Amino acid sequence: MIREYSLKLSLCAAVAAVHFASAVQASPSGVLIIVENETPENLDPANATNSTVNQLTIGIYDTLVQFTAGETAVSPRLATGWSISDDGLQYTFTLRDDVTFHDGSSLTAEDVKFTLDRLQSSAGKVLNDMGPFAGAEVVDDLTIKLSLSAPFGPFLSALSRIYIVNKDLVEANMGEDNARQWLAVNAAGSGPYMVKSYKPTEAVSLVAYEDYWGGWEGNHAAEVVFRYVSEPSTQLALLRSGEVHVAPDLTVEDKLSMMDEEGFAVDIGAAATPLYFQFNTASDGPTGNNEFRRMLSMAFDRELHLEQVLQGFGTMPDGPLPSNWVGHQMGTETGFDLEEAKRLVDENGWAGTELLVRYLPAIEEERLAVEQFQSNLASIGITLNAEGMTWPAQAATVQDLATTSDINMIYNFPSFPDAHAILNTSFNGALTGYNGGYNWGQYSNPDVDALLNAAASSSDPQERVRLYQEAQEMIGADHVVITVSNPGFVLAMSDKVTGYVYNVAHHQTFNIMDMGLSE
Amino acid sequence: MRYVLERIAFSLFALFILIFITFLLSHVVPGDPAIAAAGPNAGAEKIQLIRERMGLDQPFHVQFLTYGSKVLAGDFGTSWFTHQPIADDIMRELPPSLELVVLAMLINLVISFPVGLIAARYHGSSFDNGVRVVAIAGAGLPIFWTAILLQQKVAADWQLFPVAGRLSFAYRDFEGATGFYLFDSLAQARLDVFLDLIMHMFLPALALSLLFTAVGVRITRTSMISEFRKDYVVMARAKGASEARIMFRHVFRNGATPSLTVFGMQFGWMLGATVLVEEIFGRPGIGRYAVKAVTQSDIHAVVGVVLVVGLVFVISNMAIDLILFAINPRKARED
Repeated sequence: MIREYSLKLSLCAAVAAVHFASAVQASPSGVLIIVENETPENLDPANATNSTVNQLTIGIYDTLVQFTAGETAVSPRLATGWSISDDGLQYTFTLRDDVTFHDGSSLTAEDVKFTLDRLQSSAGKVLNDMGPFAGAEVVDDLTIKLSLSAPFGPFLSALSRIYIVNKDLVEANMGEDNARQWLAVNAAGSGPYMVKSYKPTEAVSLVAYEDYWGGWEGNHAAEVVFRYVSEPSTQLALLRSGEVHVAPDLTVEDKLSMMDEEGFAVDIGAAATPLYFQFNTASDGPTGNNEFRRMLSMAFDRELHLEQVLQGFGTMPDGPLPSNWVGHQMGTETGFDLEEAKRLVDENGWAGTELLVRYLPAIEEERLAVEQFQSNLASIGITLNAEGMTWPAQAATVQDLATTSDINMIYNFPSFPDAHAILNTSFNGALTGYNGGYNWGQYSNPDVDALLNAAASSSDPQERVRLYQEAQEMIGADHVVITVSNPGFVLAMSDKVTGYVYNVAHHQTFNIMDMGLSE
Repeated sequence: MRYVLERIAFSLFALFILIFITFLLSHVVPGDPAIAAAGPNAGAEKIQLIRERMGLDQPFHVQFLTYGSKVLAGDFGTSWFTHQPIADDIMRELPPSLELVVLAMLINLVISFPVGLIAARYHGSSFDNGVRVVAIAGAGLPIFWTAILLQQKVAADWQLFPVAGRLSFAYRDFEGATGFYLFDSLAQARLDVFLDLIMHMFLPALALSLLFTAVGVRITRTSMISEFRKDYVVMARAKGASEARIMFRHVFRNGATPSLTVFGMQFGWMLGATVLVEEIFGRPGIGRYAVKAVTQSDIHAVVGVVLVVGLVFVISNMAIDLILFAINPRKARED
């Protein structure tokens, strides 16, 4: 009896403590410091396709709809609801009526229209994923209608990167460049954090916006600072000394060691950024031959790569889509079988063939994958020459078929968790490298294009899954890529950090509005 | 006066050649800035539109003339990456780098001159041999390796200096009118900030200076040895002049010319090498900015940085030339 009473008393005390804690933390407190290796391009939400920009804008601005961390379905943010016309060409959104920008002015449909108009006139990068978006029309202060020139299934998902700017503030600073210069170093948002200081090669400091419509219930940081330090060993020293709380760019070995170190935690996010060897399928050389590509597909050991290069931080690839994504089709890619590859080389007289792969040597995972591929191919009589480049240089080589190498390494960074964002980008014939896209295999199969286009314009989820699965079967049969890995997004942090959850729709960012520091 | 004007004209011509070569190289190196500026999944049409807006569809000579005339008018253009005037970007990034280089140069001079001079005076002694060995070893030290070693041992393990950054977190809101925080902190009578800056700069400056100091010691030592062998030293000794007077009044003054010339060049080289320590110590600066500009094919920003580093190089060399001219006009003309 006494024991039961004690237990009840303890429970009451615990409940009271929780209430007290939440009462105390109703306003944000503490300074959360995140160390990043890449300096930000700028602050302009038009460039939020770049994660260094997105990790700042995600806290400074609001979007109509959002993918919250840990979720793969769109949920409301500024929009309280929406309707879609039967033909899929009109999206009408109702906006919240309690949203204010950081200067205190109210956010209305005019701001949404202005944001989209500006993106169109300035050729903003974030518009690239908006498909056949045509224009915006203000219905009333809190209602906005967006029009498409053709149906586009992932349109709502794509809107999760369109950050709404303060029309009056930006309009006053338009200059001659659609405010590109002004918004690059100034903010005009309504999000939970305001820019306190912006020193792009040093640190960016954000402070909580007291009147944020989402409120501050719970544990939140009053200030979030991004420090830019490129050297992983320096990041580790700063994390250990307590000068930073979150470090995503340590070496794999250091992340492993931090798992056992007291006072720290390591989070492994289920990222969806597959790394590919893309074969030049349009080549007049050996990779233009599907059977040759089938042989190549058998010469890379993904399991070894996952174990030794990623040290287990990732998932085993099974085709070009991550296996936990809606629309994934199992078993489409040829597995590792060096003996069979050797048999094909001997049978077809391919021994002595020389190939060229281009990659980014600054990324260790790419360099090590190339080394394994070189070694395996050498053992079966194929020479793989490797040429390391910077990203713009590599991208420039695929703009012309004549300069496209036999193999290119490239990650796919989908802007939102939808099969379209990966499959269309890497395999649609309209987005080949020579068409300015990331389909660096220069792969063009009209049947696959038809399936991808039909899936993109369909709003029936079941139908889209079927179409994507069929497309993956064809892509697999054509041996367009080797999916090298699905690396996880691994970060080490102080165990004082609360609320961090990996967001697959905003890779390499942090859900700073949910994060705080415990005592 | 004519000598000074000649030097200035020569320096301006050298800078023009520098701009041309950098601009040319930026176009020869593969890379299409329009792709980076258009973003992922842009498509050929949008990339072409961006290319036209950036003026990249124009022939090379048109691009160079357009850019060159802007530079002559003092406009370095706008960065395709930061969307800011390149001059503003450089003015923000140059002060922390220059401060670092000045401190590294001070360390260099404070060590090189006395050690080189004494080693030369006691040529062949065990001290001289020790200096030679250390100088040879030091000249082979890669800057990035020295920087990592100093950071991991002296800062991280022994905690004698900060691990990274320009200022402590407590001073993160410090702002200065000039961007030269050492000067700004003193102007604001903020001795605490000044000392904090020095603490943050010491290890990076030391790492940056060691290689150059080793070279400085060797050059100073060699030139002083030949000076000690000259007849006037024998004459001075015969006249009973003190050894200190001979060393500092005569030998140092006459033998400093080759060292000063090298130090002038080292100043520019150091500025070019700051990237190595800025990356490791997480410091802002022109080096980090340049790396980003190169990797993003931000051509005008690259040319802007090269021009400014070149300008610093030219100014430091010209300053040395003028100093040498002031010390010994006849000898300077002959050189």
